[in-house]
Amino acid sequence: MIQYQKFTLENGLTVIHHFDDATQICALNLLYRVGSRNEDPNKTGFAHLFEHLMFGGSKHVKEFDTELQDAGGESNAFTSNDITNYYVTLPANNIETGFWLDSDRMLSLDFNQKSLDVQKNVVIEEFKERYLNQPYGDIWLKILPLAYQKHPYTWATIGKEIGHIEAANLEQVKEFFFNFYAPNNAILVVAGNVSFEETKRLVNKWFAPIEKRNTIIAPLEKEPKQTDPRKEHIYNDVPLDLIVKAYHMGGRLDPDYYACDLLSDILGSGKSARFFNRLVKEKRLFSELDTYISGDADPGLFLIEGKLMKGVDFETAEAAILEEIEFLKNNLISENELTKVINKTETNVCFGDMNVLNRAMKLAFAEFLGDIELVNTEIGHYLNVTPEMLQEVAKNMLIENNCSTLYYHAKS
Amino acid sequence: MSLNRNVAPEFHLVDKLYFPAFETRETSNGFNIYALKAGVQPVLRLDFIFDAGLVRQLRNAEAAFTASMLSEGTSKRNALSLAESLDFYGSYFQTRCNADDAVASLYCLDKHFENCLPLFLEALIASIFPAKELDIQKKNSLQKLSVNEKKNSYLCRKNFYQNLLGESHPYAAFSSKENINALDRNSLEVFHKTQYLGGLKYLMLSGCFSDQTYNALTDAVADLPFTKAQNTSEIISSPISNFGKHFLEKNDSVQSAIRIGKISILRTHEDFRKLQFLNLIFGGYFGSRLMKNIREDKGLTYGIYSVLEPFKETSVWYIDSDINSKNRESGINEIYKELHRICSEPIPKEEIETARNYYLGSFLRSLDGPFSLADRLKIMIDYELPASYYPDFVKILNSVGAEELQALAQKYFAEENIVEMIVGKK
Repeated sequence: MIQYQKFTLENGLTVIHHFDDATQICALNLLYRVGSRNEDPNKTGFAHLFEHLMFGGSKHVKEFDTELQDAGGESNAFTSNDITNYYVTLPANNIETGFWLDSDRMLSLDFNQKSLDVQKNVVIEEFKERYLNQPYGDIWLKILPLAYQKHPYTWATIGKEIGHIEAANLEQVKEFFFNFYAPNNAILVVAGNVSFEETKRLVNKWFAPIEKRNTIIAPLEKEPKQTDPRKEHIYNDVPLDLIVKAYHMGGRLDPDYYACDLLSDILGSGKSARFFNRLVKEKRLFSELDTYISGDADPGLFLIEGKLMKGVDFETAEAAILEEIEFLKNNLISENELTKVINKTETNVCFGDMNVLNRAMKLAFAEFLGDIELVNTEIGHYLNVTPEMLQEVAKNMLIENNCSTLYYHAKS
Repeated sequence: MSLNRNVAPEFHLVDKLYFPAFETRETSNGFNIYALKAGVQPVLRLDFIFDAGLVRQLRNAEAAFTASMLSEGTSKRNALSLAESLDFYGSYFQTRCNADDAVASLYCLDKHFENCLPLFLEALIASIFPAKELDIQKKNSLQKLSVNEKKNSYLCRKNFYQNLLGESHPYAAFSSKENINALDRNSLEVFHKTQYLGGLKYLMLSGCFSDQTYNALTDAVADLPFTKAQNTSEIISSPISNFGKHFLEKNDSVQSAIRIGKISILRTHEDFRKLQFLNLIFGGYFGSRLMKNIREDKGLTYGIYSVLEPFKETSVWYIDSDINSKNRESGINEIYKELHRICSEPIPKEEIETARNYYLGSFLRSLDGPFSLADRLKIMIDYELPASYYPDFVKILNSVGAEELQALAQKYFAEENIVEMIVGKK
């Protein structure tokens, strides 16, 4: 059970406090309701580039990281399709430093050209290191545009292409900042060994003076229902053939979300999963075969990804995947197998909650989704899933008309 | 009162580090169980530490395969049945083959411990390494290896260690295709018998476990057929280094993988903790010189680090980065410039203070969770370090000054006996 208190400042900032006196540290997690889905289709990768700029100096603070390190703190951030999330951990008695730094960069960045130029280069190197200079690194860049035709999930967080990052300028940076990085578009979580009263005092001192802004978030285009199978073949200098199958599923608050998640575990998670035992070990068609869900706020993807054994062709490999899926649709999953994946999920939740920063992030994301109680009710949702629900989800979701398939050929 | 945002709020220095108490219990057959109770979530990790690291293998790939095949079938149940049972209780079975030892770990909720323990022990004791399972693992490993061999970072790491330590050095053991193909189940069986059944070193239990769990473990271990690892005299040969600059051509790459480093001092050396601190300043955190100059000022890379990697018999210190092929020369120049600078100029006081404050704060963070505490406890056990080893960092970091750090840099970062490995476009 994660306990918390929540309140909202006049400027619209949502504040969540979670107390834990078993630790000597405190985490500040600041979530901004902006991700790559909010980008202009011609300026993709911007939300993530912007995340880098948030460390390049703000109105009153020249070097964010040095000030934080002086007080014994550490920080990082990530950008997803839906959010940009910043976090700081400090010795609990130095938490005010975090308030000072994070409120100053919410107040205003210092918008300097040098920081923009350097971080554009850093992000371009990140693009290369993670997506271009790795075998199969570009899978995500290929499968998303196939699966999404309208919704902005069609581009990856890193951006569609390096050119978009190269073209970013200071004017866009300012505009983006003043629109999205507003108190009324953010959720602050204070978690750790700092009292509620102290949290209130610090929030009022550092964040309350920041003015509310006129944030405009354009509505996102809905992804139309897919009606035909989509397939794409690519050829690259990789050693093995690889297949990815991406099925549309519901969003994070969709009632079927939990069944989809468990279904992906039944097929592809761990050494007792079906794919591993039947297709990797018995039939020897793959050397690896994983199943996972994207977990996005808006309708996301259920993915199957596997590397084919040398000598196995795509037709055979794909037919075997489809056969397993058919089996799911025609045969009810046993209570025993369902209990197994639920137990595993319970373990994962408990392990995830060990760390105070993880709890802070979880609270922020649940609040972002619009249901903060999810941090405590989540496990109950998994426990409510029945074999019949799993079968129903398999029947409705795992169909070829709902699927994009990427055939990644090893160029020999 | 108006708020002055130009002035940093007052902060406090970390003046004390506590390493929590742990208990040592000896089982009736003579093994130590180190128990470290911490955290509030009812989760635990049980580790068995074996004398089964790379240093003990007679042929490449043997140690890693033995470790990873412990879950692939026992005299009582096959791989699937074992995996299903362990998964049913929501537990994780993990084995790790390190350079100096091998660790088998069970992660589970306390409430499931007594159901998981017999399964876990069965895997450790009664594994039979079925030929069929071995064949599957070999083929899957060969596929993985073929992907790794396409990665500049993998090739760079491998060639760096082999040049620095010598191809036959156990710390530079990378399994080749031939090594994997040549493995047979008999050699795994023998390795298991001598280095696992005959090579248990100790156990660690960490997390928020119950007394019942602790007692059940103590009783169970007493009946097991393990014998103690012999304190064999070290068999490791000294490194045979091939110093200098090495280049491996990969013409299709947009980035070059770079590793530059040398042999360093052992963890038990009196300078070691200070050297760790010096390394932090040089390339060990986001505020380090390498990061600030080469990433944050010049934008030449997404990441650059220096790492001090202590093994039991030798330590390795290296700088690691991926740099745009076009800017490679200037990136490497900057690395050497920084090496030269840290040896020739005293580090400014503010820079030392920032690093010190950060380092002590990071100790607080890492002393926060039971498992990271257990990782530190393992180091204390393996190197026979006193309980004050970590708390003493406060004293050490508060007393070390610019002059001493510079002397350490000249001693340990000097530009001699260096191996430079680059993989990328010509």
